Amino acid sequence: MPDAALIPTPDAIPVAWGWFYVLLMLTFLLHLLLMNAMLGGGIIALLSSLRKSEQSLLVSKEFSYKWPYTIAFAVNLGVAPLLFIQVLYGHFIYTSSILMAVWWFSIVVLLILAYYSAYVFDFRFDSLGGRRNVLAGFSVAVLLFIAFMFTNNMTLMLHPESWSEYFNNAEGTLLNLGDPTLIPRYLHFVVGAVAVGGLYLALIGRFNFVKGKVEPAVLQETGMRYFTIATAIQMIMGLWFLISLPKEVMLLFMGQSAWGTILLLLGLSLATAALYLGFKRQVVKTALTVLLLMLVMVLMRDLVRTGYLAPYFSLSELQVTPEYSPLIFFLLVFALGIALVGYMLKLTLECRKEVQ
Amino acid sequence: MNYPVWELTTYGGGFLIALVAVVHVLVAHFAVGGGLFLVTMEKKAYREGNPALLEYVKKHSKFFLLLTMVFGGLTGVGIWWTIALLNPAATSSLIHTFVFGWAAEWVFFFTEIVALFIYFYTFGKMERQKHLLIGWIYFFSAWMSLFLINGIIAYMLTPGAWLENQYFWSGFFNPTFWPALVFRTGLSLVLCGVFGFVTAAFVKDAALRQNLMRTCALWVALPFLLMLAGGWWYIGALPEPIHEFIFNKSPEMDTYLHTLAWVIPVLFGLSMLMALKISPMLQKVLAFVVVGIALVYFGAFEFIREGGRRPYIIYEHMYSNQVYAADVPAIQEAGFLPSAKWVKHKEVTADNLMEVGEELFRFQCSACHSVGGYLNDIKPQVARYDNIFGMDRKLSGLGTVNPYMPPFMGTEAERQALATYLVKHFNGVDEQSGNKNIAARDMPVEIPAFDKNSAEYVLLAWNTLGVQGISDSTQQWLMLPPGNTIYAQLIKRGDSPRVVTQNVELRYAVEPNFSNPQERIAFWDNVEKLLGKKPEPGVGLQGKGLSGNMDLQPEDNAFVAAAIPVVPYPRDGGFNPYPVVEIQALDAASGEILAHTRVTAPATTEIGCKNCHGGGWKVDDSAGLTAATGEDILASHDKLSNTNLLTQARNGQPVLCQSCHADSALNQAGEDGLLNFSAAIHGWHANYLRDMPGGEACATCHASRSDGATRFFRSHHGRFLDCSNCHGTMEEHSIALLKQEQSGATQERAGLMMEHLSTSTVESAAQVKPRKPWAQQPDCLTCHEDFGTGMSMNAFNTWSKNAAGLYRNRHDQMGAIMCAACHGSPHALYPANKGAALDNIQPLQYQGNDRPIGNDCMVCHTVPKEFEAHHPNSLRN
Repeated sequence: MPDAALIPTPDAIPVAWGWFYVLLMLTFLLHLLLMNAMLGGGIIALLSSLRKSEQSLLVSKEFSYKWPYTIAFAVNLGVAPLLFIQVLYGHFIYTSSILMAVWWFSIVVLLILAYYSAYVFDFRFDSLGGRRNVLAGFSVAVLLFIAFMFTNNMTLMLHPESWSEYFNNAEGTLLNLGDPTLIPRYLHFVVGAVAVGGLYLALIGRFNFVKGKVEPAVLQETGMRYFTIATAIQMIMGLWFLISLPKEVMLLFMGQSAWGTILLLLGLSLATAALYLGFKRQVVKTALTVLLLMLVMVLMRDLVRTGYLAPYFSLSELQVTPEYSPLIFFLLVFALGIALVGYMLKLTLECRKEVQ
Repeated sequence: MNYPVWELTTYGGGFLIALVAVVHVLVAHFAVGGGLFLVTMEKKAYREGNPALLEYVKKHSKFFLLLTMVFGGLTGVGIWWTIALLNPAATSSLIHTFVFGWAAEWVFFFTEIVALFIYFYTFGKMERQKHLLIGWIYFFSAWMSLFLINGIIAYMLTPGAWLENQYFWSGFFNPTFWPALVFRTGLSLVLCGVFGFVTAAFVKDAALRQNLMRTCALWVALPFLLMLAGGWWYIGALPEPIHEFIFNKSPEMDTYLHTLAWVIPVLFGLSMLMALKISPMLQKVLAFVVVGIALVYFGAFEFIREGGRRPYIIYEHMYSNQVYAADVPAIQEAGFLPSAKWVKHKEVTADNLMEVGEELFRFQCSACHSVGGYLNDIKPQVARYDNIFGMDRKLSGLGTVNPYMPPFMGTEAERQALATYLVKHFNGVDEQSGNKNIAARDMPVEIPAFDKNSAEYVLLAWNTLGVQGISDSTQQWLMLPPGNTIYAQLIKRGDSPRVVTQNVELRYAVEPNFSNPQERIAFWDNVEKLLGKKPEPGVGLQGKGLSGNMDLQPEDNAFVAAAIPVVPYPRDGGFNPYPVVEIQALDAASGEILAHTRVTAPATTEIGCKNCHGGGWKVDDSAGLTAATGEDILASHDKLSNTNLLTQARNGQPVLCQSCHADSALNQAGEDGLLNFSAAIHGWHANYLRDMPGGEACATCHASRSDGATRFFRSHHGRFLDCSNCHGTMEEHSIALLKQEQSGATQERAGLMMEHLSTSTVESAAQVKPRKPWAQQPDCLTCHEDFGTGMSMNAFNTWSKNAAGLYRNRHDQMGAIMCAACHGSPHALYPANKGAALDNIQPLQYQGNDRPIGNDCMVCHTVPKEFEAHHPNSLRN
């Protein structure tokens, strides 16, 4: 296996890999939710702002309030999975990042601009008039670009056999464009983001976390419409993604692996259920179903990675140099963090009630 | 080598991370202190019942949110993003070592964001005490972020006990953790005031604005003390080598240290100025100026902290180029190419030198060196090399005596490939040695006549060193002034010959073509500044000109013309290191010429500094130090030893090397604590000339190159010996000199220079005997036991006891004739130069052959002798 020669030697981990695996899955799920809300919500806000009707403009404006902190939390919640993936798969992801370093580095700069643009979109929504579409369009375009780069990196890291292209181009401008899964995978994420973005708006309407003048019912209806349409398309995208996978990976979900097969069946059932509940406009039930569905998706996504890397690496190969006290420290800090955030949210909700 | 390296050229050398990091840390520290500022000011507004102040705090919190959360937060992620691209191995190491530290930091980052959003969006809507509490939670979380990151960053500079035990907590609570925490906390509070000026300057209400300005000035002033105290403690807590490196050794720190020295008071002063009543417009402008100064301050500090751990990214654990320190010996053994995963070429061949060199540059150098960029541009660093050899030697010595570069990691062939690439690619030079092969010089000389039957006297003459090196870049510095010393002994022939010293006068005259040295070198323009003496132009340091009388030296029965300032530049141009001197002995009373002979007074400026210091040869493409060479040497000295010699020289005050580094040859006591000149110059350069066999290393600098323009080693010994047989290799020679200095104030320096030197003639450095320069030299009798034919070829490590024991100062057993009178000058012993006339004038004159004088006893003795009065074995024939 000559291609494996390029794979860097990984560093030892301080506790059993299962800890990091659970943390990675959990935090990635959280990141995915926020990322979808940020991107999908942004797309919906842009589309709504482009329409002339007053209510759709109000839908757009409502999201503009939520956008900055949605971005903030999407970024923050991205930090943790990026940390844990570096712990488990650093030798793959550092490498692929370097191969596409120019694109990867540009994300930081572009994201800052997109973030500020989203803030201006929020603070100056009315006074900007039509120009707000330029700002929202810019932010959305940047987020779509970033998503594309992430899809490239997450697939490039799975293809050590293509890494030798570095010897022809060390300038960090490589991409993984030749990968047949790239486009379906990208679309699978983007369309999924629109669905979740819609659901996010529907939940805001449902629980009346509305700040502006939009009718909560309109917000809920608009959100659910986007959700159902996007989810319907998403099922096609998912299928496309599935069949674009290399045979040995695809078959993991079709009998080769019991775990993979169960996940696929579960995923299909949950997606069908979510679509059904979405058509029924059952916002809360849809949301809970989608949460489960996304957990399944996250696990499936991980299985795809495991399948790709199977010839080269499995997590159990990581050397462990045990040191548990930092883990305990982290868990304590984590508990403290949850307590503080919980307490602050309690104060905030009380304050909301007082205001109302 | 474990990871690919992103080829950045212009933006390489750490530029990207410097850019992202400096702006991030400024905002990130503000994000910490700013929390305290917000709650304190909010509380103040409540206490004073001041709605205008409260309104200001609200506005400031918006500015704070937009700056710290968006820019600060994203550039923070950006740092991580960037280091993973620039140094994945170190990033991976930090991530894996401190994963739960990072994870905990992420929790506080999350709490921080939640708190700040709630603080901002509920401003004026939440119950006051609760709102303040949110602010406090924000500050606590932000400070905890600092606490955690500080541990990891401080670890990179001072890993402390972690290096031995690899425990998380040992690395985290490392030797500079607490002082750095105090310093950074102080700094973060100072920055609240600094950024406070910006928002306060835009407050319309004049009274409130003025009030705020004063408050902000106070926010700068009070924590300033905490910051300074922390900084002081921080400096004190640095382990000695790092402290020494930052403040004395590192060539790049000076700029940053100087920047800090003026920026700190300016930052303070300007901030205090903001408290005064000045125009609102000026306040606005100055507010941004203060932020700018804070940025410069922070930039300088971060550059010092980062630069302080060179050449490591994690001190003593991983080099900046991603190689673990522990892996280096194995890489040296196996080679870099076979050890690296991401190189295209797995071995060096004659055809792939350039490709391999480029790869090695990328993997070993580009982490710190940009190509034509802003940080540590490689181009000026290599511009001086006009040959591959010099570059290769430079690479060979990295990581030895200069502490800020890692060693070259790889085999000799790989090093050669890198050197070839650097010199060829950047300088367009494709020459291995950079020195022409100079054809052997035809040196005809008229041998004076001698009538064996009628002559009453024999006049023998020689020069004391065999060759006198002259450093002729005197506008810059001097280490070897001109001054060739000629000895002569006059012998009255007879049954019992005697050395004549009374009633005779000995005169010398350098051949006319060399008679005006003051027109050829700038020595006399600078000699007073260099040596505090002012000889007339063309006159040497002992008062001798190019012709004149020789002085009687009674203890030697000899006449001496000391330090004749002969130079190797004849009037008719070019380079000729062998001027001929006419010697005459006259009757003091009558002036009658009793005897005459000729001798060469070799002088050379073929000193190979330019091989590594650039600048090229001055004369005939074969000798002479140019001003460019001279300046580069001073610049190197300045860089490495924290001196200011180049500026000094450019300001008209050239430098005498021995004014600091003691040298008995020039009667200079030097400065205490500094190595003597010979030990310093050999010891330093030996580190760049290691593992060179025989006299190869010597010929890099000295004029002993076998294809050079001087070839001063002209003795018949040159047919079967090289410099190292008597002096040891360059490394051994240096060890002997350094060991002599291994006591008292110079002990440490000598030790550092010897650390990487090895021996080949003797087993280890421990066996090398210390040697005083000039006073102790190899002894002829080591090989020529009892004056017999040499049976050994190793005279190294047996030194003459003192100067009296030197060949050039010794006499025969009777104390009458000096050794050199019959055997010739050191390095040019008879029969010299394979029979060439110039170095054998007297044997040819008196004996008709090139053998030592006495080969035919009848040169002096009119009656054959039967006992060996001069020395055993003198009657061999």
